Amino acid sequence: MAKAGSIAAPPAAIGATKAVRAGEKNVPRLLLAPTLIIMNVVGLYPLLHSLYISLTNYNPTFGTSYSLIGFANYARAFGDTQFWHSVVLTLLFTAVSVTISLTLAVLLALLFNQNRPGFLFLRTFLLIPMLITPIAVGIVWRTMMMPDLGILNYLLSLVGIPGLAWAGSSSGALASVILVDVWQWTPFMFIIIFAGLRSLPRSPFEAAQIDGAGHLSTFIHVTLPMLKPVIVIATLLRIVDAFRTYDTVYIITRGGPDFATDLLSVYLQRINFRIFDLGYGSALSWIALVIILLIVIIFVNVTGFLKLVADKENR
Amino acid sequence: MSNARLLKKGLNGTAAYVAAIVAALFFAFPIYWMASSSFKSEVDISAYPPIWSFAPVFDNYRQLFTELNAWDALINSALIVGLSTCLAMAAGTMAAYALARFEIKGKEFLAFEILSIRMLPPIVSVIPMFIIARQLGIFDTPWLLTAAYALSGLPFVVWVMRVFIQDIPQSIEEAAMIDGCSRFETFWRVTLPLLLPGLAATMVIVFMFAWNEFLLASMLTSQEAKTLPVIAANAIKPKAIAWGLASAAGVVMSLPVVVLVLLMQRYLVRGLTLGAVKG
Repeated sequence: MAKAGSIAAPPAAIGATKAVRAGEKNVPRLLLAPTLIIMNVVGLYPLLHSLYISLTNYNPTFGTSYSLIGFANYARAFGDTQFWHSVVLTLLFTAVSVTISLTLAVLLALLFNQNRPGFLFLRTFLLIPMLITPIAVGIVWRTMMMPDLGILNYLLSLVGIPGLAWAGSSSGALASVILVDVWQWTPFMFIIIFAGLRSLPRSPFEAAQIDGAGHLSTFIHVTLPMLKPVIVIATLLRIVDAFRTYDTVYIITRGGPDFATDLLSVYLQRINFRIFDLGYGSALSWIALVIILLIVIIFVNVTGFLKLVADKENR
Repeated sequence: MSNARLLKKGLNGTAAYVAAIVAALFFAFPIYWMASSSFKSEVDISAYPPIWSFAPVFDNYRQLFTELNAWDALINSALIVGLSTCLAMAAGTMAAYALARFEIKGKEFLAFEILSIRMLPPIVSVIPMFIIARQLGIFDTPWLLTAAYALSGLPFVVWVMRVFIQDIPQSIEEAAMIDGCSRFETFWRVTLPLLLPGLAATMVIVFMFAWNEFLLASMLTSQEAKTLPVIAANAIKPKAIAWGLASAAGVVMSLPVVVLVLLMQRYLVRGLTLGAVKG
């Protein structure tokens, strides 16, 4: 990492550089101040406030007065089967969606890494889904997945497959929202992994070729290890974002049918902004926060994420 | 090359093209479908089997701007997202410069703390923001969302700009300072011009996420400060769903981001990956 003053100045100039530096003691603090202010006022303070609210029975529909009730909300959460159903559903959704996206993204990156005429043009189409507003994504997929009028069932009927109920059946709903999530966010993983693939050095591949390694063994023993940092970063960011999926599911199913897609964020929205049980909702939010933090910490430790980032920065 | 090998190569090439075209169709088709639906009349949109050629109408767009107050929402979106992006860019770039160029105690911890905002699910912070905003009387004003989006944009800006700044050799700055420039002049006249591509790319990404954001926007506004995604979601009513109208809203919302990002493609990856991958 570049450090201030790590580059040796010519002897005559040292005095001048030091003179400039002398008045700079407070400069880094001043530079960091706006970020720290926004972080603490808009980020940390509300978060701590929510910790306090989670210990109360605050519910604005019953008036503005509320009192501390200790850990009752947390105790209640442990018996809330609907909540844990949402947690399990969210973990399942995240795991399946991220795994499929990652696999597809690696395959697509390998495919588009071949320099063939027209591939640059075709590649551009792969980027667009992640740029579209998730609300719009929900709208268009919901139209396409309509069981009676939708284009998807029409296309299936052309190849002789009977129509599916898609998000309308409790067995197909989760699969349907996973499909939409994969469609929208595979491009995100693709572009990161593709860029990583492009920046790899050539020589290990040439060495593998001389050794007579086949495509598959080159991929497993050469490509994959070198791509690890990129894959780890893309996966971490995707896990965090998939865990908080809300917009598309809200538009396509609103958590239904029969709670089959009642993801954590949808359940929390209902507790907080339909029932206005804000004290309880805050407690649930904190449990959700702890769960995602645990996942991130485990992931970061297993994959050595921070070390990977540091290595990249030091290059 | 033997005939068999030539044949194998040809087959590989064909397979690659088939796969690439299928992939492009899979990712592009829903976008085509949304765009074409937005120009369909009420009758054409509910036709079954779906029709591919139709006489385009602009009713959906007209209705969007007359009945759903899309103009107000567009102005709100532009104001809120513009302001919060500028705020996050200014504050974040300053912090990034400090982290990249100065020795600070506990620097890595600070950087990680900033990154941890990126990990925070918005559903967690929306409740306290809602409560505090009602107490302060700023609920349903553009300022509340501006602050929220500035916060969520910050980690991107700090982490990505830090890497862009580190990429600029420190020796260039040292040379300018030896020539008598102050630290500020050096930054303004030497470093900043070199940072412009990075700044632009980061800005597009921060803009994109704030522009597309729905959860905070739907819960922290009710009438006055509604943004475009909230308006679009309003087109979906439990009973009668106006598909053409909703599609038009989707197109209006998505167009600015798609155009901006496709122009900035070269630098996009760095921004998306917090600077960890060279784009």
